[in-house]
This record gives sequence, structure tokens and C-alpha cells, in this order.
Amino acid sequence: MHEQAFRFGKARHLVGVVGLPAVIDHGVGVIFLNAGMVYRVGPFRLHVELSRRLNAMGYPTLRFDLSTIGDSGASGQRLSRPDQVVADVREAMELLKQQSGCTRFVLFGLCSGAQNAHSAAHVDPRVVGALFLDGYGHRTLGQRLRHYLPRLLDTSAWRRLLARRRASAAPRPAEPLFVVEPLPPKVVREQLAEMLQRGLKLDFVYSGGVSRYFNHIRQFRECFGRLADHPGISASFFKDADHTYVLTGDRQRLLDHVTQWMGRHFPVTRPGT
Amino acid sequence: MKSRIDAELPFYFGPGRELFGFYHPAAAVAGAAVLLCPPLGVEQIRCHRLYRQLAHGLAESGLPVLRFDYFGTGDSAGESRELAWPRCLADVATAAAELRTRHGGSRVLAFGARLGANAALAASASARLDGVVAWDAITDGDALVRQYDRMQDALKVDLNRFEHARPELDVSTQWPGFERNERLHEQLEGLRLIDPGMASAWLSSALTDEASRPDEGHAGRRICVDVSPRWDDIDCLELAILSHPLLDAAKRLLKEMA
Repeated sequence: MHEQAFRFGKARHLVGVVGLPAVIDHGVGVIFLNAGMVYRVGPFRLHVELSRRLNAMGYPTLRFDLSTIGDSGASGQRLSRPDQVVADVREAMELLKQQSGCTRFVLFGLCSGAQNAHSAAHVDPRVVGALFLDGYGHRTLGQRLRHYLPRLLDTSAWRRLLARRRASAAPRPAEPLFVVEPLPPKVVREQLAEMLQRGLKLDFVYSGGVSRYFNHIRQFRECFGRLADHPGISASFFKDADHTYVLTGDRQRLLDHVTQWMGRHFPVTRPGT
Repeated sequence: MKSRIDAELPFYFGPGRELFGFYHPAAAVAGAAVLLCPPLGVEQIRCHRLYRQLAHGLAESGLPVLRFDYFGTGDSAGESRELAWPRCLADVATAAAELRTRHGGSRVLAFGARLGANAALAASASARLDGVVAWDAITDGDALVRQYDRMQDALKVDLNRFEHARPELDVSTQWPGFERNERLHEQLEGLRLIDPGMASAWLSSALTDEASRPDEGHAGRRICVDVSPRWDDIDCLELAILSHPLLDAAKRLLKEMA
């Protein structure tokens, strides 16, 4: 294992782990952003598993905690949260560049991590690709029909709904903090178009855990129109999986998908190990 | 404050530099240091922020702290399926030695939640620990194994999580969120709480699960804390555990032992 832990950033407020392949070909490095409030290892250690698999393929990686999440502290700067996130990602790119020589980066983010990856990818020219897991998307007429029609005709769904209503009287734990505050769809489309024009490769992966807003691969076109035809963009729907890939089989399928996508768009000329 | 945080150090250590650690130096060393032994699996992730807060609080009050991950967990080397109980105990000893080297003293106390408490207690001799504060330590390994198996089965048909139930899947080698091997299953099945007879304190959540219910030997010394981590609830797998009463109790007990 070639991993090293760092405290970094101008204010030394960020904490992350760099993973290096045995041979670095100065291609792209991959940076993992926090999924909600989960610290840098990712939900059920997803970021650790994926970063090590990418290291074995020849990609340098950095999994790190954004300001005030996980082990990272506050920067001391008076920035809005979105600006702070972009500043943190820039510090992360600088660290990975110092350690690996990479000057181009792919961002990986799940849920709010996807939202943050979107923001950083939009403004920083060093970002050449991004993987958005359960990232932006919005409800469409098709989504509503697919969601509600089967339920109207399904008696067991009605029973479950009634049971949930009854159970809701009992105290339930707070919902996990995995909520994406959406940008308006029009803004998302415009920003994605700009990214694609700059040559970024973008991959959207949706899970069955977000069927409240995305429930069929066709919906990607419903959301993003002609952008869906652009060769730089791709989308997948992992219908069976949940939002955080709690089952290891689902997680392995996701890892396979990501590594294949990386190999297709950012091939390594000299594999790591 | 900033300079102290600046001095906090993430690093890899151990013979093969396989273990991840996070050292929190104290402003003024009071003679003892504290090793934080994490729980395993999803409980380790749920406790991450709590452990960080505890480390900050202890360091501020003069006790240097080392947090660390066992082999096969967190940022340490190894895959989840390689996790083994004897290796966890060896890692406690390795981490205690690292802490002694870094803080320059000899007295080392430990805090552990769930299996982290069991690991600290079981490794107390090899790690030369001088006291342990245990929170919801596992008193019945069989019950813990049954609980993890039951949670994993419940996950497959959890319609709050999945759009469609997946009862056909074989997940017999998984515990919530992680792959595990048969050896770990056997090692934890036979696990019982070890009381090494040293300075120890037993924190217990307001609602205990079957696996951490205090046994007769410890019931009298139990200190109840107003926290409900709901270790056995699949609705809580992604919920961080935050508790000021728990932090206050753990800090107070460790400072008394120091």
C-alpha cells in the first residue's frame, strides 16, 4: 500500500489520504469528496475500496474531508459554504499535484458530494471529468407517472402506506443527512453544457434509493434534453441498489462501473501495479 | 487553539506502516495519555465524530490522545473481509506503543465503544494499559453475531432503503455494510467480556441492546448515560452518534483515572 496521510491547505485545516500507484504516468488524479457528513472513508468504506482499486490501475487518488467535516477544521476564511467547498477542492488538487505530478483531475461525489463536485468542476479548468452519484436530476412527468401509477393499483403499497402512517406516531430517528439542495434545472443544464464544451467527461449514476426524484434511465433525457446525446456525458441507473450501496455486491458493481468508465475516458498507459 | 489543531497529526504507523493513526497532542502533558479504540464495521463510522470530539476534549484538558484504525478498517491497510479479532488486539498493543513513544510518558489509558471496549480490555496486558473506560461493551458475542445476521437479513427487504425487496440475495458473508469472513464470525461468537481487574469503568446507554446488556459482574458498577445509539436498528446505519452526556462522562472518568 502506498498511502500517506496529510494535513494540508493554506490554513492546514484539511485532512486527507493520498494513494499512489507504484508507477505514475502523470495522467489524471481522482479526488473523492465527502458524501453528506460521512468522513473521507465514504459510506461503508466505499471511497477506500474505490481509491485502492484505482491506485492498482495506475491512478493517484486523494480522499479528504472538506472544511468542518470529518477530521478537517475551519479554514478561518470568511467564505460562503459553496465558495469554501471550491477553495477546499482547489487545495486538494494542489496537494495531489505535489504528490503525484498530476495536473488534471477527476472528481467523485455521492449526493451532496456530487453537488460539490459539480460546483468545482464548473469553475476549475483543471477538472477534466466527474462522476456524479445520485447527483442532480429533477422530477419529471414521466417520473411521476412511473412512481404513482403502479402504486395506485397496488393494494400492498396502500397497506404499507397506512402502516407507515400508523408507525409515524412512534419516534423515529432523524433522516440521514444526505440531502442535495438542488440548483434550478435550467442553471444545471447551462453549467453542464459549459463543462461539456470545455471537454469534460461526465458520468451520472443514479441508484434506486433516490426514486423519489429519479426512477428510470429515460428520465436522464427528460431532465437534460439534448445534452444527453453529447458523447462526453453518460448516465446509468442502478435500480436495485440503495443510496449508500450498503450491500457489498452492489458496491462491487459500482466499483466495476467506475473503473471501466475511467479506463475508457482516461486510459493509463503504464498500469500501476 | 489554531496552533494545537495545527499540531494534530494524521499518519501511518506500525511495522509495515499499515495502521492509520491520528495524534492529538496536549497543551500541557499531565502524565497520562489516552488511546481511543474504535468499534468495528458501521459502528466505527457512526462513532467517528464522537471520537474526534472526545480526542479534542481530552487534549484540551492535558491528556494526549491517539485515535487509530484496526487493519482492515477505516483508512488502515487491508480489506474489510481480512478483519480478524486477534489482529485487532495486536493493533491495540501496537497503537499503545506508538502513543507511548509520541507522548513520552508511560501511563496509557484507553476508551472503547462496543467491540472497541472489548479489544481494549482483552489487550490490556499486552498493551500495558493502566485503565479502561468501556461504553456498551459486548457482553454476549453470540447475541452480537445474531444481531448482525438479523440486521443483514432485514436490510434486504427494507423498503425504506430499496425500491424493491431483494430476498433472493445471498448475503451470508456480510454484516451491515461490510463483507466479513467466517473466521471473524467464529471469533466473535465465542466472545465474552474480559474484566482484567484493573481500573475500569463501565458506561452503559440508556437503552441497551441484547449484545451489550450488562451482566451480573458489571451491573453494579454500571454508569448509565443518557444516549440512545440504537446499535441494532437498520434505520440508523448512516446516522452519526453525537452525545454530550457520553463525552462528559468519558472525559470525567478518564481524568479521574489519570
